[in-house]
Amino acid sequence: MADRPWITIVWDDPVNLMSYVVFVFKKLFHLPHDQAHELMMKVHNEGRAVVSSGSREEMERDVQRLHEHGLWATLQREGSL
Amino acid sequence: MSSFELINGEYSLDLTLDEAHILINLAEQLLELLGEADFSHHYTSEDPFAQIMASLGGESFGSEVAPPEDEVLKRLLPNAYADPESSSDFRRYTEQAIRSKKIAILREIREELSAIVDSDQAGHITDLDADTWLLGINDLHLALAVRLNVDENSFEYFESLPDEEPQKAIYAVYFWLGWLQESLLRILDPH
Repeated sequence: MADRPWITIVWDDPVNLMSYVVFVFKKLFHLPHDQAHELMMKVHNEGRAVVSSGSREEMERDVQRLHEHGLWATLQREGSL
Repeated sequence: MSSFELINGEYSLDLTLDEAHILINLAEQLLELLGEADFSHHYTSEDPFAQIMASLGGESFGSEVAPPEDEVLKRLLPNAYADPESSSDFRRYTEQAIRSKKIAILREIREELSAIVDSDQAGHITDLDADTWLLGINDLHLALAVRLNVDENSFEYFESLPDEEPQKAIYAVYFWLGWLQESLLRILDPH
C-alpha cells in the first residue's frame, strides 16, 4: 500500500466567501473558473472535497499554501477517509 | 461606503478615518496574537472598536510544535494531519514560514493605513498590492469570526441584536470586512 498517493482535503467553513475560495482554487491549482467553482460547491455542500493528490511532500506544500490563504486544509493517504 | 477600485491598472482604496482606525486596530491586534508586537508606537485609541480581539479574549503565541492554545491561532494555523505526531512535525517545518507570511502581510497593511491615521482625516491608498490586501483582510475576517463564533445563522442574529448591544458593532465590522473583500474580488476575478 506504500504507493497509494496522498490527498489534500479542504474543509467547509462558514466564513470564507465563496468567491474567495474560488479565487484561491484558481490561483493555487490553475483551474479554469467553472472547475474551481464546482470544487468550491462540493466543499460547501459536502463539507469537504479533495483538491489535489500526489506525493506526501507535494501535498504538504499544497496544505501550507492553503493555510497561508486562510483555507482549512489537511492531508492524508488516499482511501483513509 | 468605501470599496476597492482598479484605475489605469492600479488598485486603490478610499477609507474614512474611522474605517482606517478600525482596520489598523484589528491588524495590530492580530499581529500581536501572531507574536509580533514591536511597533514603535501603537494605534490604540478611544475608538469603540479598539481592542476588539483582546476584549473578546485571547492569548499570544506559544510553541510552534504544539497546536496553538488560542482559538484564532488554531483557525489561522490549523493542524495539517488528523494525527498529532504528524501535525507537530508539519508545524516544526512549516509553521514559522506561514506565520512570517501572515505577519509580513499585516505589517504592510498597517504601514499603508498608518499614513491615513497619522493624517487624521479620510484618505486614499494608491497602487496597493491586491493579493496582500485580499489575504490580510481574509485573516482579519477569520479572526473576528472565531471571536464572534460565526455560523450560518450569524447574519440573522446580527440583525436581531438591539443597536445598544456592544456586540452589534463588532458584527457590523465583521460583515463590513466581508463586503470590502468582495469588492476587491469583483475586480480581481470578474466572473
